[in-house]
Amino acid sequence: MKNIVEVKNLTKEYKELKAIDNLSFEIKEGEILGLLGPNGSGKSTTINSILSLLTINNGTIKIFGKAMKPSAYDIKKKIGVVFQDVAVFDELTVEENIDYFCGLYIEDKKIRKEYVQDAIKLVGLENFKKFYPKQLSGGLLRRLNIACGIAHKPKLIFLDEPTVAVDPQSRNNILEGIKKLRDNGATICYTTHYMEEVEIICDRVIILDKGKILASGTLDELKKLANIEEKVTIEIKDLNEKYVNEILSFKNVDSVVYNNNDLIISYKKGKDNLTEIIEYLKSKKLKYDNIFSQRPTLNDVFLELTGKELRD
Amino acid sequence: MFFHNLKYTLKTIFKNKLLIFWTFAFPIILGLFFNMAFSDIESDEKLKVFDIAVVNNENFKNNTLYKEIIEELSSGKDKVFNVKYTSLEDSENLLKDDKIEGYLNFKSDTPNIIVKKSGINQTILKSVIEEIEIRKNVLNDVVEKQVKIEIESGNYDINTEEIVNNILIRIDDEVVKFNNKSNSNLSYMTIEYYTLIAMACMYSAMIGLTAINQSLPNMGSIGKRSSITPTKKSVIVLSKAIGSYIISTLGIALLILFLKFLLKIDFGSKMLYVVILALTGSLAGTSMGILISSIIKAKEGTKVGITIAVSMFLSVLSGMMGVTLKYVIDKNVPIVNLINPNNMITDGFYTLYYYDTLNRYWMNIASLIIFSFICLLISLISIRRDKYDSI
Repeated sequence: MKNIVEVKNLTKEYKELKAIDNLSFEIKEGEILGLLGPNGSGKSTTINSILSLLTINNGTIKIFGKAMKPSAYDIKKKIGVVFQDVAVFDELTVEENIDYFCGLYIEDKKIRKEYVQDAIKLVGLENFKKFYPKQLSGGLLRRLNIACGIAHKPKLIFLDEPTVAVDPQSRNNILEGIKKLRDNGATICYTTHYMEEVEIICDRVIILDKGKILASGTLDELKKLANIEEKVTIEIKDLNEKYVNEILSFKNVDSVVYNNNDLIISYKKGKDNLTEIIEYLKSKKLKYDNIFSQRPTLNDVFLELTGKELRD
Repeated sequence: MFFHNLKYTLKTIFKNKLLIFWTFAFPIILGLFFNMAFSDIESDEKLKVFDIAVVNNENFKNNTLYKEIIEELSSGKDKVFNVKYTSLEDSENLLKDDKIEGYLNFKSDTPNIIVKKSGINQTILKSVIEEIEIRKNVLNDVVEKQVKIEIESGNYDINTEEIVNNILIRIDDEVVKFNNKSNSNLSYMTIEYYTLIAMACMYSAMIGLTAINQSLPNMGSIGKRSSITPTKKSVIVLSKAIGSYIISTLGIALLILFLKFLLKIDFGSKMLYVVILALTGSLAGTSMGILISSIIKAKEGTKVGITIAVSMFLSVLSGMMGVTLKYVIDKNVPIVNLINPNNMITDGFYTLYYYDTLNRYWMNIASLIIFSFICLLISLISIRRDKYDSI
């Protein structure tokens, strides 16, 4: 797969603060690349720098093999952007908003009309075409925001936290829509601080913190960095410390945390751990409400790499 | 792209209720208020002939031009003022005792205007002298040229007085004549409505400001989104500027129609000139808003505040809250009002009201066009060169 975006040694400083510190990465054709990191990690600054919206202190940015700059209109033609903040006109209807932004890319009225309807369909706003933004719920507004950014059928799409403050139904709709865009041939760069979303839709992930790349790779590659293979969570009341220490001494156990009646056991190896712990609880006649096993998450990877939770 | 942008600029501004209120409804409401508050005063407040004195010293006696014009302005049924020719001491006493509005003292070719207070009569007196000076300069230029022609044609025996007289006869029909408008169709109250139109013109700045803000990436998400499109900034800015101007123009047109047909304000025989000045003023107002939007790096609220403050400040300087300040500035720091678009508008209206000739009116129109052009040029350059450290 060829590189659609190539970022080399990108550095962006705000006075004393290095918002992006010597960042280098690529976005490959047809993939959904996730930029994952806590708030303030430099995700949006990275996107704004790539799009030439910000002046950068150092580095080179190539898109479709050409240097990106503010006047690179031939490149801009093929890019779609959905910003974190909703960018629509309150004075225009859903259909008019999409038509306006699509019209900044597509001059042919007939083609534009078709594209606008496709975008409305993609985000599921068919029943809200004549609605004004103020009449839409938060989730529907986010969908409109996405439609405005992708209606012109771009080959490269940047989505900057498009699901912030969105209800679960709309979130699923948005994520499904993004997958469809990828399936239709678009290359996507998706920033978020929701690791679940990254796990659902991203082919490759870059984990950012304080403007630096902490790790990058496929989900499987990243999870190997977590140093654990399985996590078992048990809802159990008033567990004596003695039992916690006993569990900690089990073979393969990496760590045990008991907090708010949740016992979380992390295992270095991921085989037969659930059976073993259930049998232990049975033997000690300890009652529990719920027990489940998980593969390590990106949060565990982040925890391993930085010593803090992704949402800290 | 241009017409697509223009179409949606018009749509978004027209549906912006707050903006439409301040630019369309507010001046009309204010006009209605003026009408209710001042219509009764009008009959008593027509401009009256006022008294002045001229120090009858040697300088004045030798100044043929001024002698003739002052004589003309102080005689007949259309006279502007009554003149007393006195000594300097008597003039001072008359002014001190409020028996005259001011007096002229000729220490050189140009008189000093001495007034005790500022007011409409004092402004008229000042305007008259200014106009005479313009006329004098024109005359000097023509004489100079004529003398040059005579010398070039080999005639070295030049009689300057004869040349002046010949020229005066030739241009007699074009000579500036000052008439008191108190008995004509134009009423004193019309000035109030002129200032209202001027104010509405300056309010156009709000439309320009709002429209351009939508294309700047540091002014919000819509600007960011517009900036990453392949549509050139110049196309977006130009379409928004033209869209803003169209709407400003409609607002001004509506105001003038309202004043003329509903409030029955008589703009005299110069309606066409009122319209031309209002449209040019609206262009200047819109351009000023565009300039503020593009060169000031601040949040939208701050920009709106700056626009209102600048508009109000310029209005005050140009005499919208009373002509006193305008007079003081014109006298002491004339450059301030020369570059003040609000003054160009109000001065244009005053000119329409007081003068029969249109030289000064067209000068104001030209100044407004130049002002607008400079504003738009700076804005375009500034927007095109803009790079953002943060957005």
